[in-house]
Amino acid sequence: MNSEIIISLEHVTKRYKVGDGDFTALSDINLQFKKGEFAGLVGPSGSGKTTLLNIIGSLDSPTEGKAIVMGKNISALSHKESAMLRNYHIGFIFQVYNLMPVYTVFENVEFSLILQNKSAAERKKAVMESLDWVGIADMANKKPSKLSGGEGQRVAIARAMVKRPDILLADEPTANLDAKNAHAILQTMKALNKELNTTFLFSTHDEKVMGYLDRMIHLEDGKIREDEIIPHKLSV
Amino acid sequence: MTTIKLAFQLAYKNLMGAGLRTWLTVGVLSFAFVVIIFYNGLLDGWNQQAKKDSIEWEFGNGQLLNENYDPFDAFSLQDGHGILPDAGEKNLVPVLIRQASIYPEGRMLSISLKGIDTNQATLKLPTYLLKESTAERPVIIGNRMAASINMKKGDEVLLRWRDKNGSFDAANVTIVGVFDSDVSMVDNGQLWMPIGKLWEMTGLENHATLYVANKDYKHESIAGWEFKSLDLLLKDINDIISMKKVSGSIMYLLLLAIALLAIFDTQVLSVFRRQREIGTYISLGMTRIQVVALFTVEGSMNSLLATIVGCLYGVPLFIYLATTGIAVPQATQDMGLAIADKIFPVFGAGLILSTIALIVLSSTIVSFLPSLKIAKMNPVDALKGKIQ
Repeated sequence: MNSEIIISLEHVTKRYKVGDGDFTALSDINLQFKKGEFAGLVGPSGSGKTTLLNIIGSLDSPTEGKAIVMGKNISALSHKESAMLRNYHIGFIFQVYNLMPVYTVFENVEFSLILQNKSAAERKKAVMESLDWVGIADMANKKPSKLSGGEGQRVAIARAMVKRPDILLADEPTANLDAKNAHAILQTMKALNKELNTTFLFSTHDEKVMGYLDRMIHLEDGKIREDEIIPHKLSV
Repeated sequence: MTTIKLAFQLAYKNLMGAGLRTWLTVGVLSFAFVVIIFYNGLLDGWNQQAKKDSIEWEFGNGQLLNENYDPFDAFSLQDGHGILPDAGEKNLVPVLIRQASIYPEGRMLSISLKGIDTNQATLKLPTYLLKESTAERPVIIGNRMAASINMKKGDEVLLRWRDKNGSFDAANVTIVGVFDSDVSMVDNGQLWMPIGKLWEMTGLENHATLYVANKDYKHESIAGWEFKSLDLLLKDINDIISMKKVSGSIMYLLLLAIALLAIFDTQVLSVFRRQREIGTYISLGMTRIQVVALFTVEGSMNSLLATIVGCLYGVPLFIYLATTGIAVPQATQDMGLAIADKIFPVFGAGLILSTIALIVLSSTIVSFLPSLKIAKMNPVDALKGKIQ
């Protein structure tokens, strides 16, 4: 892991309008993540994990404070600039996979590369390599409806990894998986983290995920309760 | 890659993936597309045929009417005639019209007795039959007239007419020919005889009620005569066709509205139902403009698919109809406008292209409006499927 800081959160606060008042989802968050970290935001529901992940992913912006991702201030980006940031530097993995039902596995994974205007040959090579990483190259022509939960999440990982992002944000990636599949997915992610030096940032309250993390940021009521560096407990 | 190219690429995949839903919308839209072209083609075909027949059988290249003659006032026939010297040299065919009665099978029937130059070639009326006949008073009639008086070639019928002084006279006339014309105005209630014979019977030597111009006629103002140009004479046909187009357009606009409503409905539903997908597109790096373009193209691509599907069954149908024509019932042919036994629809490139443009444009607009909602969507709410 090198020491390059790719995510920097300075006094980040996020409030939402609720009726006549405000709800504070995040309060004065200060965090930094280096390239290649395998970290997690942990805490109960409503603690602000997903909100923080969305701000880092430039899907949302802080009400106060600064979120600097890949050297860019999220709040200052135009729609187009934040789309470019997501397209080239950030991969997302969702709890319910969010695969496009009308596309095949191959087409789902290929999608980001189409947005990057890559040639068909480049796309094919990258997609097959990505599917190979997650062990589902033989399912390239299947529709998502024909996949199991574990296979679906592998496609989601392949889709996120195919563009070789600097940051991969995973929101409760194992919530819909059984223990066996969850461990398999996490081992795959850990291997990719090692191999590609991609920064993985999880939002989770799953003990299984926590077991793989190198760093855990405990959130509670929108505040950081503890930022914990964990010595390796599990090997890939 | 441009936004539109990407939108087409993805929209095609999405539409094909949507399966039956796509094909139902495309089916309705293609039906509207085919019906619009068919109906307009039918009217254009009818229009062209009606004008052609009216020119060939009745109007020639225009008509020169005696100033006292009003085609809409039967009483004006009595005095609405005159002499135009050198009519033949002016490329004009004289027609003298008199009121008369015939008595077929003991019934009395009021008719227009029309004398025409038997040497004329301006109208398609078979006046050569009058010239060739040896009968003392030869007449030709149309097949509608023949059917209504139950007479055929070779039959005689008693004719009563007034001479120039208003005195009645009567004699038998011989039907020497029955012609088949689509123009009921030269057929129903009409008896055509040599103008020379009519001059002799009425004492109106060299008189004519109107002159029919041939293609070489050059109009110059003539005192006592009023020229009705072809445009003026065809105005009734044009008006009827325009009226038919308006009434027909209500029908096909309704059909188009149903198809467009289906697209609009699908789009509104898509934007609502596919918000998680929209959020995913944005999280994967699409701009909102790209997503709006994608959904708009998806909707308007229905119309492009409808064009293709419409062509698949419409083109063979149109070729068949344009070749074999559409039979028109006899009753319809008596409505006073030239209608052939068969109408051959005309499907011009202009009609087809303008219909395609109308459908593609209108479907793009109804696709774009619901998609605009995407531009205001919060991607986080979209990903959660929270937008109401």
